[in-house]
Amino acid sequence: MKRAPIVIAGTVAGLVAVLEFHTTPVKLTLAGGSSLPSAVAGGAGATTQPASGGSTPAQPASAESTPARHAQSGSASGQTAVRTATGERVNYNFGVLSVRITVSGSKITKVGIAYLDDSGNPRSQFIDQEAIPILEQQALQAQSASIQGVSGASYTSAGFEQSLQSALHSLGK
Amino acid sequence: MGTVITIDVYPAPGADDSSTADLRRRLDRARMQLQRADDVFSTWRQDSPVSRLRRGEITAVQAPPEVADVMSACEVARRLSAGWFDPWAMPGGFDPTGYVKGWAAQRAVAALDGPAMHGALVNAAGDIASVGGQPSGDAFRIGIADPGEPRRLAAIVELTGCIATSGTYERGGHLIDPHSGSPAARVASASVIGPDLGLADALATAVAVAGIEGLDLVEPLAGYEALVIGWDGGQHSTRQFPFASATGATAGR
Repeated sequence: MKRAPIVIAGTVAGLVAVLEFHTTPVKLTLAGGSSLPSAVAGGAGATTQPASGGSTPAQPASAESTPARHAQSGSASGQTAVRTATGERVNYNFGVLSVRITVSGSKITKVGIAYLDDSGNPRSQFIDQEAIPILEQQALQAQSASIQGVSGASYTSAGFEQSLQSALHSLGK
Repeated sequence: MGTVITIDVYPAPGADDSSTADLRRRLDRARMQLQRADDVFSTWRQDSPVSRLRRGEITAVQAPPEVADVMSACEVARRLSAGWFDPWAMPGGFDPTGYVKGWAAQRAVAALDGPAMHGALVNAAGDIASVGGQPSGDAFRIGIADPGEPRRLAAIVELTGCIATSGTYERGGHLIDPHSGSPAARVASASVIGPDLGLADALATAVAVAGIEGLDLVEPLAGYEALVIGWDGGQHSTRQFPFASATGATAGR
């Protein structure tokens, strides 16, 4: 299955926020306008990609079949509707995680960890506490007043991205 | 590449329809650069040219021309880093991922560069390529995450060009000894600023492992500056590392 980088394009004043996701071709379909969690079939989220690649040791990929949950709330205006979605639970190097995102209109306003189980491994706690929040920080930093970016080593986790993609899928992106 | 990439554009005011359309076209070209880099270099995709190269199914000559370019650049980076950055020493063979992330972001920002714009930033998971600056005319101010306290910033820099940061916990613990639990790297993180993000990326990786001695690799390189943050939070940098002036947190050296 083709993987592509997720590209989130935000602009500061002037241009309408552009939010583009290069996701896999398979899209999950959801009951429109429903505020109840939709039981979505595994679909594109349940992949068999390796949990890590490149120079890290390969681990068996066994994404749990927890369906992506979808909640919808916010104003009637499509421009400012606030929606959240939680991605499927996926294995990452030190345990299981799932990602939650919040989208306001066409802009991602929050990326966070909805679920994390790293079995209390002290090293993975160091990584979880240090690295994953950096990824969150980067997703939010466009709204910081005094800086325009954050540079920090990030935990480029296949599991994180996989769960993020499934959350995005559930928002119909 | 498993990387979340953000693109921020600061358009000049008074953009008319044709300027806006031109900006959108440049944004599309920037995205295509990133897509192309992923297509060619992703080691997660079994059928990418680099994956096939690693398996010996093709040679560098048979691969897309970008592969040879990146290999040459990696050879330069290996020499400049005195071997602390060595993509040929990766398990499974040549793995340029530590260079390509920055290289791709740099090409994306170059595609974005053009008229009707104060500046733009492409942030590939903490590696940032920039053109221009803030609408005020000031340089971009970029925070460097505190490796010990991720929601805090250890430093703020005034950025011209690019910045890459490498930490000991990236890429699934590649730089950590899984048996002892002790980090193999001597410092918690290293940041390198310079005009070429691919090289800055490689140097940051090298300095993160080499530690304070790694600063000696960067000091002689014109246009490149580096900062290391130790496990105790202590900071050391090359002489002209562009710490931002007074407003906000500027940690002492």
